[in-house]
Amino acid sequence: MTRFRKLGVAVVTAALAAGTLAACGGDGDSGDGGDAKTLKLWHYESANSAMGIAWDKAIQTFKDEHPGVEVQFERKAFEQIQQNAGMIINSSEGPDIMEYNKGNATAGLLSSQGLLTDLTAETEKRGWDKKLSPSLQTTARYSDKGVMGEGNWYGVPNYGEYVMVYYNKDLFTKYNVAVPTTYDEFTKAMDAFVAKGVTPLAEAGAEYPAGQLFYQLALAKADRKFVDDYQLYKNPVDFKADPLKSGAQAFADYVAKGYVAKTSASLKAEDMGTAFISGKAPMIVSGSWWYGRFKNEIKFNWDSFLFPGNKFHAGSSGNLWVVPAGSKAKGLAYDFIDITLRPEIQALIGNNGGVPVAADASQITDPKNQKLIENFNTISQQDGLAFYPDWPVPGYYDVLVSGFQSLINGSKTPDQVLDAIAKPYGEGVKEITGK
Amino acid sequence: MAVTLVTDRAPRRKVRDRHHRGASRWVVLALVTLGAVIMLVPFLFMLLNAFKSPGDYSSAGPLSWPTEFYTKGLKTYWTEVNFPLKFWNSLLISGSVAVLAVAVSLFNAYALGIGRVKGRLWIVGLFLLANMMPQEALIYPLYYAAKQIGLYNTQLSVIIIFTVIQSAFGTYLLASVLGTFPRSVLEAAALDGAGKWTVLRRVVFPNVRPTLAVLLIFFFIWTWNEFLIPLVMLIDNSTQTIPVALASLQGDRLMDAPTTNAGALISLVPAVLFFIIFQRTLSRGITAGAEK
Repeated sequence: MTRFRKLGVAVVTAALAAGTLAACGGDGDSGDGGDAKTLKLWHYESANSAMGIAWDKAIQTFKDEHPGVEVQFERKAFEQIQQNAGMIINSSEGPDIMEYNKGNATAGLLSSQGLLTDLTAETEKRGWDKKLSPSLQTTARYSDKGVMGEGNWYGVPNYGEYVMVYYNKDLFTKYNVAVPTTYDEFTKAMDAFVAKGVTPLAEAGAEYPAGQLFYQLALAKADRKFVDDYQLYKNPVDFKADPLKSGAQAFADYVAKGYVAKTSASLKAEDMGTAFISGKAPMIVSGSWWYGRFKNEIKFNWDSFLFPGNKFHAGSSGNLWVVPAGSKAKGLAYDFIDITLRPEIQALIGNNGGVPVAADASQITDPKNQKLIENFNTISQQDGLAFYPDWPVPGYYDVLVSGFQSLINGSKTPDQVLDAIAKPYGEGVKEITGK
Repeated sequence: MAVTLVTDRAPRRKVRDRHHRGASRWVVLALVTLGAVIMLVPFLFMLLNAFKSPGDYSSAGPLSWPTEFYTKGLKTYWTEVNFPLKFWNSLLISGSVAVLAVAVSLFNAYALGIGRVKGRLWIVGLFLLANMMPQEALIYPLYYAAKQIGLYNTQLSVIIIFTVIQSAFGTYLLASVLGTFPRSVLEAAALDGAGKWTVLRRVVFPNVRPTLAVLLIFFFIWTWNEFLIPLVMLIDNSTQTIPVALASLQGDRLMDAPTTNAGALISLVPAVLFFIIFQRTLSRGITAGAEK
C-alpha cells in the first residue's frame, strides 16, 4: 500500500512539474499557417559582411514588392546549420528558404534524400541559368545520387570565392623585390625574400591553407578533364602522375627552399591571416573570404594577383539559396532568390568586398573591389574554377591536413604523402559511385 | 585529525615547530599562488582580448596590451544575439533542470539506498552507464522522439532530457550516500510511527540537504554549459541558450577573436555570479544541517 502511495506521489509530482513547464516551453512555437503570408528566411552571414549587407537590402526590396507578407528573418550560427540542417528541414519547424553549404556532403546529400525542392523549372523560367557561368552552375546542380555537376538545380549561388595571392606592397618595396607576373618571376621573388632572411609565404599546416596551396600547385599542370575526374569522378585519378605528382613535388620544394617555414606545420588559418595582417609575411596564398577583413584591418599597402601561370584556380560558387521540400511559401522563396540576383543587390555584394556572381563591373566603385571582381570574372569566363581539394570525399579534409602537415615538417616524402592521400580518396569514391 | 597532532607535539617544540612550519607555509603559499595564476591565465587572456579591436588583435597578436579600450565587441555581441533573451532561456532551462533533477535523484536514491530495492546494484550501474553514454549517440533517437511527440524546438524537450541525464548521476551519487545512512535513525523514526513519506521528508531530506545543494549547483552549471543537445533541439533563435549564441560568432572560415572573447566574457559572468551567490547559501546550508 505504502509503495503505491509513494509511486502515486512521484507520478503526481512529475506530472505537475511537466505541466507548469509546458507553459514555459510552449513560448517557442509560433503557429505557422499554410497561407504563405510569411516567409521564414535563414542565413548565417554576419550583419556587416558583404552578403549580410546585400541580403538585408534584398529583404527590404522583397517587403516593398510584397506588401502584406511578413518576413521572419533569423541569423543562424554556421555550426548549427552545418550540423543539423537535415534534421531541421525534416521537421515542420524549418525555414521556407535558407542559405546552405554547397557540395556533395551538404546540399548534395540533402537533395538525394528528397529534402530540397527541385528548382530546375523555376531556373529556366526566370533565366537564372543565363546569369551563372558553367563552373558556377556545377555546385548548384546535383544528380539523383547527390553528386554535383549535372542534374537538377537544387540551389542558387549569389556570390563566388577563389584562391589568390595577397601581397604586402610595402615589404616588396622595402626589400626591393619586383611584383611577379609569371610563375618564374614568382619563384624568383620568393628566392629574393629568402636571400634576405624573410620567409616569403605564410602557411598554415593544421588547417585548409596547406591543402589549397598543394592543389593550386597541382592545377598549374591541370586541364578541365583532370578537374572533372578528380571532383566529379568521371575517370579514375592516378595520384602518382601529373598534375598531383608535380604538385606534391613542388610543395616539397617550397619547404626545402624555405619559401614555407617548417614551423608552420602546426599553425592554423587564423595564424596565417594575422601573420599577413601584422605585416610579417610578404605573401599568402588564400581565398577571397579574407578580403573584407584585410580591407578593414590592414594598415599598410597591399594588393592581390591571381596565382601566376595558372588557368585553373581553387574556388567555386559561394553557399546556395535552397528551398526546403517542406517550405510553406515556395513561390515567395523563388521571388526572393530572383531579387538577390538583380544587378543592384549584386553590386552591393561587390561594393562591400564580396565577389558577386552576376555583377556589372562598372557598377563597382572601389578600385580594390573592382580588381577582386575582375579577377574572378577572368577565372569564371575561362571556366577556370577548380573547386577545393577536400571536396570529393567525405572526411577528406582531415586526410589532406595530416598529409601536408607531414610534408611541411619533413616526416614524409612527397611519394609517401601521395600514397597516404590516394587510399582514402579511392575508397571514398568507390563508396559514392559504387564502382 | 590535525588538531590531535598539534596538541601532541605543541608544548615541547613550540618555537622550532613554528619556524619550521613557517618556512613550509611560504613554500605552500607560493605553490598555491602559482597554481592559482596558472588557472587564471586563460581568463586573463579572455579579459585582455575582449577589450581589443579586431585590427589590433590581428596585427599585434593576442598577448599584446590593447592600444585602445574597445567596447564595440561587447556591444555587438549583446545586441546581435539579443543577450537578455538568451540569458533568460539559459536561466529557465538550467534552473528547471537543477531543481527537477535534484528532486528526481532524491526520490530514486531513497528507493535504491534506503528502500533496498532488489537488484539495486544493477540499477545503479545502469544509471552510471546511461550517464557515461556520449551525447552524440543519443542525439538521433532523441530528435526522432521529440519530433514524434511534438516537443522538437521547445525548451521543455531540453529540460526533460537534461533532467534525466543529470539525475542519472545524481541517483548514482545519492544512492551510495543513502546506502550508508544509519539504520538506527530510520528505525527510531519508524518506532515513532513515521511512514515512508515522513521519513523522507523529516529525516532523510534534512540530513542530505548539503549534498543536494552541491548537486543543485553542479546540475545548474553543467546544464548551463551544455552545447550539443540545445544546438540540435532548439532551432529558433528565440529559444536558444547562451552557448549556442556564442557559437554564432564563429563563421565558416573566418573568426572574430575579440568579439568571441567579449561574448565569452559576458556569457561567463552569470555562471560565476551564480556560483558565488550559491556558495554562500551552500555553506549556510551545511552549518544549518550541522546544528540540527
